[in-house]
Formats: sequence, structure tokens, C-alpha cells
Amino acid sequence: MRGLRKYLTPFAPDQSGAVSVLYEFGGIIVICDAGGCTGNICGFDEPRWFESKSALFSAGLRDMDAILGRDDRLVAKLADAVTKLDAKFAAIIGTPVPAVIGTDYHALKRMTEKKVDLPILTVDTDGMELYDKGEEKAWMELFRVFAGEKEEVIPNKIGILGMTPQDISDLRAADRIRERFAAEGKTAVCYGMGNGLDDVKKASSVEKNIVAAPAALEAAKYLEQTYGTPYEIGYPLVDELLCDMNYHGKKVLIVQQQVTGNAIREEILKKAPDVQVTVASWFMMKPEIRRDEDLHLRDEEDYIKLVENGAYDVIYADPCMARMTPKFEGTFVDTIHFAVSGKLVTVEAAKDSKELKEPGKLKESKKQEK
Amino acid sequence: MRQEAYFCTVKELNELGKDKIPQQLISHTHLIYSSPATLAFNSPGAEGFGVKRAGLAVPDSIMLIVSPGCCGRNTSVLSSMRAYHDRFYYLLMDETDIVTGRHLKKIPKAVAEICEELEKKPSVVMICITCVDALLGTDMERVCHKVEEYTGIPVRPCYMYALTREGRKPPMVHVRQSIYSLLEPKKKKGNVVNLLGYFSPLVDDCELYDLLHGAGIKTIHEISRCRDYAEYQTMSEANFNLVLHPEARFAAEDFHDRLKIPYIELRRLYQIDKIASQYRAFGAALGVEFDDEMPRKAAEDVVVKFKEVHPDAAFAVGEWMNGDPFELALALVRYGFHVPEIYGTLSGENFIYVKQLAQISPETKVFSNLEPTMLYYDGSQSGVNLTIGKDAGYYHKECPNVRWNEERQPYGYAGVRRLFESLAEV
Repeated sequence: MRGLRKYLTPFAPDQSGAVSVLYEFGGIIVICDAGGCTGNICGFDEPRWFESKSALFSAGLRDMDAILGRDDRLVAKLADAVTKLDAKFAAIIGTPVPAVIGTDYHALKRMTEKKVDLPILTVDTDGMELYDKGEEKAWMELFRVFAGEKEEVIPNKIGILGMTPQDISDLRAADRIRERFAAEGKTAVCYGMGNGLDDVKKASSVEKNIVAAPAALEAAKYLEQTYGTPYEIGYPLVDELLCDMNYHGKKVLIVQQQVTGNAIREEILKKAPDVQVTVASWFMMKPEIRRDEDLHLRDEEDYIKLVENGAYDVIYADPCMARMTPKFEGTFVDTIHFAVSGKLVTVEAAKDSKELKEPGKLKESKKQEK
Repeated sequence: MRQEAYFCTVKELNELGKDKIPQQLISHTHLIYSSPATLAFNSPGAEGFGVKRAGLAVPDSIMLIVSPGCCGRNTSVLSSMRAYHDRFYYLLMDETDIVTGRHLKKIPKAVAEICEELEKKPSVVMICITCVDALLGTDMERVCHKVEEYTGIPVRPCYMYALTREGRKPPMVHVRQSIYSLLEPKKKKGNVVNLLGYFSPLVDDCELYDLLHGAGIKTIHEISRCRDYAEYQTMSEANFNLVLHPEARFAAEDFHDRLKIPYIELRRLYQIDKIASQYRAFGAALGVEFDDEMPRKAAEDVVVKFKEVHPDAAFAVGEWMNGDPFELALALVRYGFHVPEIYGTLSGENFIYVKQLAQISPETKVFSNLEPTMLYYDGSQSGVNLTIGKDAGYYHKECPNVRWNEERQPYGYAGVRRLFESLAEV
């Protein structure tokens, strides 16, 4: 049945994606909810929240606020908070409640701008879309509002777009990317993971952008149109995700966000040009980087049928999906996707993946009998 | 800009009175700060017993969460616990569902499909709905009735309406009603009593069990100790209910109206003399006199012993623990300890403790976990050297902390004794 989930908990929603993008830029982030959505984001979807204090707030909506559409109260609360907190901007993130009552985010933005002397961002997420939709909106809003005048391009300065825990599932990935680029004499600017608002303001100074997630593709296009900054699509750390095995003549299914999936495919094809690789995703599939054989998955049944009928030898997917296809007898390569399982790549997981890469030590498929 | 967390001393609060509590301490008047200290408030499903977990208190039950994806997202934390494996299912809503309400028509088929694949038929299917359906005005009772007709399985609603958190019947009150609503009338037994209020049992060595047994009670039911649905059904044989948590009052009234079972309400307290007087009043209502000398003495001894070892203990008391922070703070001050700080949500109900604290510890500071300036909380000059509650531990990472938020519920003298035993260990 469409929409029915028997195995997987719901994936990260759009509001979590929006917060994931804006989290490190030093703004006041207000989730326009009654409290539960904020709790979901903080307690589950934003792993950085446990590591450091952040100005993340719930609007604390109550039934009468929603019924009477009391946006003015939210504006007053935000204006009051701004007098007490140091912040570079304020962002209002939508949830199902404002979606149901038809909140006008443009009006809300204008109302807030009149009362608050800070740049205001609004992201009209509704909790029913997936994280990448929210990320896409937030990346666009961020660069539209903050990317400044065209600056001179600094040679060897590379922008990395799309780095969020939701997409990359690894809180240390940005550091490793910076290290790799530094070793080549380049500077990597990982927006949203270690690089802040000042770097966004100087976005036009990068030589090129690398898009690490489909949700950042629109922002890359915007930067290209606005500043002429070229972009490439790929994931600089893809080698870390690859399982070293004999791929010749095999059929491989990769279920991940599209850019990561494509990057893994490219690496596999380099090793074995005769391999058949399908990239599938629960999330957005951008037509410009999609091959004919690639698939968008919507319901659990889509994935189960795909595996049952696809005769795949190897599946790259989040480990939480293994239990959906207990009869799969091939090799299941754990490829954690935070937006799916809420799990991050840990030291143990990284160790496991290294073991996987050693020939002859292939880990058996992690089948879990339901 | 002063980067300082807002607080009010209990003396100031007492002077203002319960009708003039400063806005900073009233959560619906400001943005709600979100820190690990407030997670339980913002996301009752994330830790402890929130609506989702509480809704599965009935043995062999399952839950279908009908909501936008975001509402069910963090349920995977629960699903990973063995007791909840394969008990949560989801029917995800989209924008068209909101406009047309078509998701409601899918529920009977969804429940049927889920139950078909289960080895054992569930005792009840809880349908959990969220803020969206609250605003749409969904008649979930009617939907549940239709699902029952379609599947032949008992179905009950479970309202996870965060919007009504501060209303007359908040979600945690409603869910307590829901889980007892399956009980069928049975012949009463004079020696059976139900303990209502918690979703996990009292600590095994709680004196309440012995006191009730001493008063002739043979069977003491708690929903969390029911091994199966048949045992759960025997709760309707009770002669009376003991309400141990105020959020179970509505459920107790339901018991009274529907099953003709009356109730008596007791509070969780940490002041030993008040516990004693509560037991005296309870005994009088039952027409018995409880012999509580031994557990009382045991609690008093542990407090005295702790005081001898830690005469200078200065506590920060949080609200993310098993107790009322204001009552516990009052108890600690009355035992001769210092309480520089409390993190809590003030209401008319617990203002009585503020009044008493103002007399004996006027400089105790009251903070609200939820106030935006808590972002700047700095406890380095607070003088606190011991903390109780997960939130207090978060603010004072350098101090020994007793979380005191275990699932087994501390109660009565045993609660006091165990608390001080835990404090002595950290």
C-alpha cells in the first residue's frame, strides 16, 4: 500500500534538511512548530546538536495560535529573543502545522523584517517532503540572501556544496576533505560543515564548486549563473565508500543519495567496465545526472520487488534495509545514509569498511530474519 | 548585550505570587530553547515514555502512526529497543491527504495488511495521530470504530497532539485514558487494587506494596507488570485505584464512570514527614493504620548518614527526573542541605513549594530550561557541587550527577532512601 511502512521508519523530513544546511551559520533557527518537530530534529536528525550549544528554538505554537493564525505572536517572540541573543540572522523553518493553516512565508518574512534588525530567511518546509527538498530550499535561500558582490577568484580555492550530516553521514568528512585538498595545495571550503557565513559571503571567490549532494545542485547553478563559478558533481571521499571485490560480470544495486550513488558507480566501473550498475534512491533523482537504468524508490514494496526481481549480486545500501529482503543471497555492503537510518559513520563502521576492502575478507551479507 | 541566563529567586517569586510569574518562566510566552536539557519536553517520544511508547503499554499491542513523515522519524530510537521491535508501523501522509482526508480511508486496509503478516494477532491496534489531524478535526473515534468493524481487532486512538500540550487534556493525559479504555466490566474483588500513573513499575522494594498487603490487599496490578492481555483485563476486578501521577486522574475518572471503580490520589514526595502524613491519611480512608515505621526509619537513616559524609552538599535540582523539582528542593533544604539552583517549570500546583522555600532558602535561583537565554547559562559561580536530574547534569558537567530518571519508578520512603543511596555513590 502506498505510504505504508512496515520495515523502515520514516526518512528525514524536509525541515530537518533545512536545519542541517543552516545549522552552523550562527543564526537563530526557529522551528515553526508546537515542540515535537524541534525535538525530532534535535534529538534525532541533527547529530551536531549534542556536541555544541546552538540557537535552535521551537516557536512553541499552541492550538489557538494555529486556529487563529497568530503569526504576530511568533514575530513578537522572535523579536524578543533577538534582543537577548547574539545572532547573524534569523531563519524560520516550516512544519506541518503552518502547512495546514496555510501560513504565508513571504508575509511572515516581511512582518519579521519590520520588527527585527537582522536578515530573515524563511524556508517553507512542511514535514511531508523529504530532507533533500528542505536542503535544496535552504541552500538557495542561504546563497540568495548572503552571497555578496562578485569577488576576484582565488586560485585553488574550491567550494564544496551539499555537505550536511544528512547527505554525508559522517561528521568528520569535511575535515578529511580539507586535509586532502590541502595536501594538493588547495583550499576546500565546505559550506555548512566547518566553514561559516563569511565564506558564503565570499562564495564568488572560489575557483569552482564541487556538488556533493543533489540537493545542492540548484545552488551550484545559481552560483554559476550569478558569478560564473563552474561546478562539478562528485564526492571527493568516494574511495572510502568502495568495497574492494571482484566486480567483473556482476550486477550491482546502489541505494543512496544520487551523487554518492553515481560516484560509487563511477569507481566500480573504473575497476570493472563490464559491470551493470543501477543507482536507486529514495530521494531526488536529478534528470541531468540520471541514467536510463536508474530508479526512484517511493515505497518499501518498490525496493523489495527490485531486489527480488533484479538478480543483483551486490547491494550497496543502508544496513537498516537488509531486513527487508531476507532472501537476498548476494553481498550487502553497508553504506550508511543518515537520512534513512539516523545512523552516522562511526569509528567501528569505518573499521568494518576497511576490513571489507581487504580481498578475501568480504563480509557476508547482513541478512536479518524478520 | 548581556549574555546571561534569566533567573528569579524564590523570594522574588513568592513576592510576585503565582498570578504574576515572570513571562520568562512561562513557556508559551517566548521561543522555546532547545538543548539536551529540554529534549524530553520538546520531544516526549524521544526519551522516556512519550505518547508512542505509552500507547503500547497494553500487552501484545501494536501501533500505526498516521502522520507526516516527520512525526514518526525519531521512532526508530524506540524501534531499536527489543520490547518495541515490530510494534510500530507508519502510514505516511502527503499534502493531498491533508486536503482530501483520503488517508483516513486507507487506515482499515493498512491495519488489515499489517495484521495479516503478523504471526500473532495483536491484542489492540493503537492508531496514533498528530497535530495535523488535530487541526483537520479528524473524528478518530469513528475511524477506529470502522477499523474494528473491518478487521475484527480492537482499535483505539492515541492523540499525539503537541499543540494541546498545555490544554485541559494534554496528550499524556489522553493516552492514559486510551490504554485503560479496553477494560471490560468484571465482578469486583475486595482484595485487588490498581496502581495508575506510570508506564513502568514502582521499584520492587517500595514499601507501598507491603503496606497494601498489610491492609489485606492480595493483588496489586500495574499495567507494566501485566504479562499478557488476559492479565491486563483483570485490572477491571479492582476494588479501587491508586493514582500516583496527576496525569492519570482522567483515566481514574473513566474507571469510576465506566467500571465503577473509585480512586484515591497519592503524590510522589521526598519530604519524609509529608510521606508519613500522606500514608496516615490514606490509611484513614481505608480504615486501617499502616505500620510504616521501618521503611521510614530506613529513609531517615540514609539521609542522616549522607549528611554526615556530605555536610556541605549544594544541589542543583533539575526537572528531568522522577520528582517535582520544587518539592525535592524543599525536601533537601529541610534536611539541611543547600540548594542554589532549580531548573523547572512553574505552575500554580507547585507554587506551594516556592512559598515554603522562600521562608527557608530565599536566595535559591529558579531557571526555566526552556527560556532562550539559557543558551548562555554559566554555572561556574553557582556554588553547586552535586546535581540531580539529567538537565542539571547537563548544565554542571563538572559536578557529580544523579540522573534519577530511571524507568523503575521511585516512590515513598523507598524513593528517598534510594535517592540518597545513589547520591552517596557518585
